[in-house]
Amino acid sequence: MSNKPTITILGMEKGVRVESRILEERVQQAVAKGHRFIEIVAHGQHGIGGRLWKAGDEPVEIQVQGTTGQRLGSMGFPNTLIRMEGPASDDVGWLNAGARIIVRGNATNGVGNAMAQGRICVAGDIGARGMTMTKQNPRFEPPELWVLGGVGDSFAEFMAGGIAVICGCGKEKETNVLGYRPCVGMVGGKIFFHGAYQGYSEKDAKLTDISDEEWRWLTNNIRGFLDSIDRINLLAPLTANRGEWRLLTARKPHEKYGKPSRKMTAFRREVWDGELGKGGLIGDLYDQDQSPVEVITTGGLRRYVPLWENEKYLPPCQANCPTGIPVQKRWELIREGRMDEAVDLALKYTPFPATVCGHLCPNLCMLNCTRQTVRLPAVDIRLLGKASLNAKAPEPAPSTGKKIAVIGGGAAGLSVAWQLWMKGHEPVIYDVRKRLGGKISETIPRSRIPDDVLEHELKRASKKIAHKHLKHSLTREGFLKLANGYDFVVIAVGAQKPRMIPVPGNERAIAALEFLRLSKADKAQVGQRVVIIGAGNVGCDAASEAYRLGARDITLIDIQEPASSGVERQHAEAAGAKFLWPRFTKAITEKGVELTSGELLPADTVIVSIGDQPDLAFLPETIATERGFITVNESYQTSDPRVFAVGDAVRLGLLTEAIGMGRKAAASIDDLLRGRKETYDQLPAIDPARVKLEYYDPRVLAFDDPVSCAGQCASCGACRDCGMCETICPQSAIIRRDLGDGNYEYAVEADRCIGCGFCAGACPCGIWRLTENEPLE
Amino acid sequence: MQAIELGVHRKRVVQVGMGLTEKPGNVFGVYHGIRQRTEPAYACIGCGMCDLVCPNHAIMPAHNDERDKLRMHINLGGEPRRRGGRRNDPRSLLDEIKFVRISMLTDPALDAGRHEFELRTLLGRILPPEAIVKVARENGWIPPVREIYPLIVGSMSFGALSPNMWEGLQMGVAYLNEEKGMPVRICTGEGGCPPRLLRSRFLKYVILQIASGYFGWDEIIHALPDMKEDPCAIEIKYGQGAKPGDGGLLMWYKVNKLIAAIRGVPPGVSLPSPPTHQTKYSIEEAIAKMIQSMSMAWGFRVPVYPKISATSTALAVLNNLARNPYAAALAMDGEDGGTGAAYNVSMNHMGYPIASNIRDAYLNLVKVGKQNEIPLFAGGGIGKNGNLAANGAALIMLGASGIQVGKYLMQAAAGCLGSETDRCNICNIGLCPKGITSQDPRLYRRLDPEKVAERLVDVYMSFDTELKKIVAPLGRSTSLPIGMSDALGIADRNAAERLKIQYAV
Repeated sequence: MSNKPTITILGMEKGVRVESRILEERVQQAVAKGHRFIEIVAHGQHGIGGRLWKAGDEPVEIQVQGTTGQRLGSMGFPNTLIRMEGPASDDVGWLNAGARIIVRGNATNGVGNAMAQGRICVAGDIGARGMTMTKQNPRFEPPELWVLGGVGDSFAEFMAGGIAVICGCGKEKETNVLGYRPCVGMVGGKIFFHGAYQGYSEKDAKLTDISDEEWRWLTNNIRGFLDSIDRINLLAPLTANRGEWRLLTARKPHEKYGKPSRKMTAFRREVWDGELGKGGLIGDLYDQDQSPVEVITTGGLRRYVPLWENEKYLPPCQANCPTGIPVQKRWELIREGRMDEAVDLALKYTPFPATVCGHLCPNLCMLNCTRQTVRLPAVDIRLLGKASLNAKAPEPAPSTGKKIAVIGGGAAGLSVAWQLWMKGHEPVIYDVRKRLGGKISETIPRSRIPDDVLEHELKRASKKIAHKHLKHSLTREGFLKLANGYDFVVIAVGAQKPRMIPVPGNERAIAALEFLRLSKADKAQVGQRVVIIGAGNVGCDAASEAYRLGARDITLIDIQEPASSGVERQHAEAAGAKFLWPRFTKAITEKGVELTSGELLPADTVIVSIGDQPDLAFLPETIATERGFITVNESYQTSDPRVFAVGDAVRLGLLTEAIGMGRKAAASIDDLLRGRKETYDQLPAIDPARVKLEYYDPRVLAFDDPVSCAGQCASCGACRDCGMCETICPQSAIIRRDLGDGNYEYAVEADRCIGCGFCAGACPCGIWRLTENEPLE
Repeated sequence: MQAIELGVHRKRVVQVGMGLTEKPGNVFGVYHGIRQRTEPAYACIGCGMCDLVCPNHAIMPAHNDERDKLRMHINLGGEPRRRGGRRNDPRSLLDEIKFVRISMLTDPALDAGRHEFELRTLLGRILPPEAIVKVARENGWIPPVREIYPLIVGSMSFGALSPNMWEGLQMGVAYLNEEKGMPVRICTGEGGCPPRLLRSRFLKYVILQIASGYFGWDEIIHALPDMKEDPCAIEIKYGQGAKPGDGGLLMWYKVNKLIAAIRGVPPGVSLPSPPTHQTKYSIEEAIAKMIQSMSMAWGFRVPVYPKISATSTALAVLNNLARNPYAAALAMDGEDGGTGAAYNVSMNHMGYPIASNIRDAYLNLVKVGKQNEIPLFAGGGIGKNGNLAANGAALIMLGASGIQVGKYLMQAAAGCLGSETDRCNICNIGLCPKGITSQDPRLYRRLDPEKVAERLVDVYMSFDTELKKIVAPLGRSTSLPIGMSDALGIADRNAAERLKIQYAV
């Protein structure tokens, strides 16, 4: 390198500034021609001294006089040395790729921006955004920026490599040589600085100790820097004290951090509860545990708890039996192999288990059997009813000596008497007929109740009821007299007075009740053609009896759709009876029944079956009636507290209803006699939806015997001890407790139970119920 | 909800021997499995708790894309459906608004990460200098103004929210103020304020709400002598976006001892907040009377402002406020707001969209030259689809000084399961499966207040970053760009015309 430039390129010609483009062309030409030391007298031209690759590996020195423009030495090559003899404008060494650039004065903003190699030495201060976006390419040495004084704001933003040295000379009295907010986004490189500072981006950079090696590097290289700017006199003071220098380095990715933040738990404890007091916001108002809970909880934190509701609800069979027979209990006894007990149990509720349950009853228990809700056949009580023919009568309670007159020995009267006998009282039956049994004995056709069954059960009852006065008709005076001799009187006279239709010629007709009575006594006669006015069940009975007696053209008419059903209807239909409605009778003539429509229904015999009414001529006025029936309260007590009334005399109904009334009335009388409060307690019926019928075989369509019935009974509401709940519980929280004497219960261990409801979902009998836990405060 | 239960099932397998050489037979078996109940009362609400408790993750709710049939027959017993939550309309005009003015060499470009932003707003009456002089001279008083963060936690009452949820939000707000230096404020809603909070320094972060039920206000009055700090402000609630013109009712079964104590009522009674304030008969009277009374309570040191449902009549209210130097702001709550309980019909069909309502209000203020004097706060549907910062920034640039957000913050902070497709929406019946709106400890203890606070902080930090990411590229300013509507565009010509922003397709 020669000591003098071999060419001088002027930035001003004849008073006109040379364009940056022209100056650049001339510099490139000079290099191409072999000039290696070029002097440039600049007049604000930009980009001077960069891109001088045409010199190949040969060094090129550019000496800049005058006023340089922006981007001095931009894209400089490693072969290039640029000396700026005065201050420099913006972006010195922009994208510098290796040039050494010496500025013998201050430099403005953007020094070294995006520089990747080379070295920039500034003999004064620099402006804002120096050393920003600098890189270090691993193929080369890192870029360097040396600043004798201080740097402006936003120094080293996004600096990604290289070394900056800030000597802070002349800034000794200032409070900041690093400018405002240096190092934001810095990811690489080092900054040595000497002098005061006012912070930096701590998120991106950190102050570190200067290692021996780094100090050696600094002290070795600072000499060259000071030499290049002719300030070697500062070497001694700058290198005298290692402790005056500081080093900022970029945080590595794993060292990056935000401002240290307090953990919320600590904030809550120290600040929140510290200010508010223990328990926080509501610690003064609420003292219960507030700690977080899981979604799945046990014990008191369960939202739902299972309840073992064994026998808390009536099964639908029992709930719907007017007599109140615990039907299901009987099946249960059979399942337990206690057939005799199952059979005998019925007699505690009715004197007619075979006659009524087995033959005459429409079996409301079966009509309401839960199994019917999913079209499974109801368990057949008739089998058990018939089997009850041989039931043993229970032992009565010790005798009380109390006497009760029962007027009427039909189903209702016998039920009352039977119950009173069992309770240790002495019932006395009065009946106008010569035979007990009322309508069962007198009017219900044999086709529906075999004589031997009825006789057997009547005998069984009759045997227990010591006093009976048959063929005893009653007047009003007689009734009053009779009543005075007893503790209580129960009226069970039935409805014996047929209603007749008020049309001309009704004297030609026979009442159905009378016809059936005669028929059963084999004293009735009918013609070929029979018309029955009124097509209810009694009308149906009359139709089947008429057929038995020889009639072949039987017609039942009604003013509306006939209400008949069941066996009665089936028998009538089997007899070929026609049902016509609506038909209104105008008159009964010799020819038959004349309708209001003008039609004539030819008939040899006309039977009227439009209902019966009680014959209450004997009743004293003190006992209230309504529309011909005796008025009673829920206990079947009449307006005279010592007189009860049951059966058809109160309300027309089924035999089972009459028997049930009798049972309830007897219980009330018993309560009164013993001075107890009413004990007759009816549980609510179970919701059939609780019972799971999927456990039963849908192929079973009929039952052969009571044992097979018992097996298919769903035991609604009564635990059958199957252990399904124990098995299904995912928490093993259900345990069976043996209570001794064959008694047991299932219980829940609250600390294991999660309230999932699997027990309730799986229980075949609907015992388990999942219910909301007790509310918490 | 008990929409599912264990069921007993019967299974039949027909067994046929090959070649039909034998008579085919049936094999019946019983198995147990989960069954869904189909009665409307047990309808699945999609809360997904089944998935949370199933040890095998074998179950999850799936949304039925067909129109829900329940809508046709859910009104059992003649009572129209009520629900909590949201509007169930995923559409959002705010989501349609784009920020179209990107600073490309026209202004000094800003860098959201590098530059420092002052994203603060003012709550209070900012009078022009001559008016301040006048007011100060005539009244000896200058209106109080708070410098606060522009995203306010909207009013949700203690009672509507569970104790853990409420405490979590308050704790998060305190943390943001004291640990993060963000002046975030939270509005109590109408359910009173726990006595401890009233007597703590955290009261500074709280906007106390008074509404038509006046619940808890005697407790607040009793606490006046013990207050270490003034509250941030008082909000007088006249309406709510989710059920405009309708009131609220906290059902008796939610009024436990705790809520009763805070509201100052006996437990176990239903607490009605009627649709209207009983003793206010006109705008003038309502505003003058209420603002003056509430100001008096704290010696005129606390800003007092009304909150109304967005409505086509909002300008009448605004004009009145503009003439009242004691009025600190106006909060407007748009149709898309959330609620703990409302009639279906109120939520789905009542109310005014917030964007054009706030725009009209702002432009009206511009017309009278008071746009920098009385701040407007917008609420209702902000962030309904998760775009909290973008929706908020859009409203701010349409003219809002700040936004009030309840539903989104609640959802984000507590992991609420609700969605705009009618998922869950049972905030009103005290059975919130997450414990957000239930008063049963068995449910609300599922929610950890610390986690709520942490999540709230997270949401605010991310909102702050996103807001900067929106504001910075627009250039020009590092302050909150209130009313900078030239930055907004929308691909709907009618909406552009209505909002007076650019039509950009």
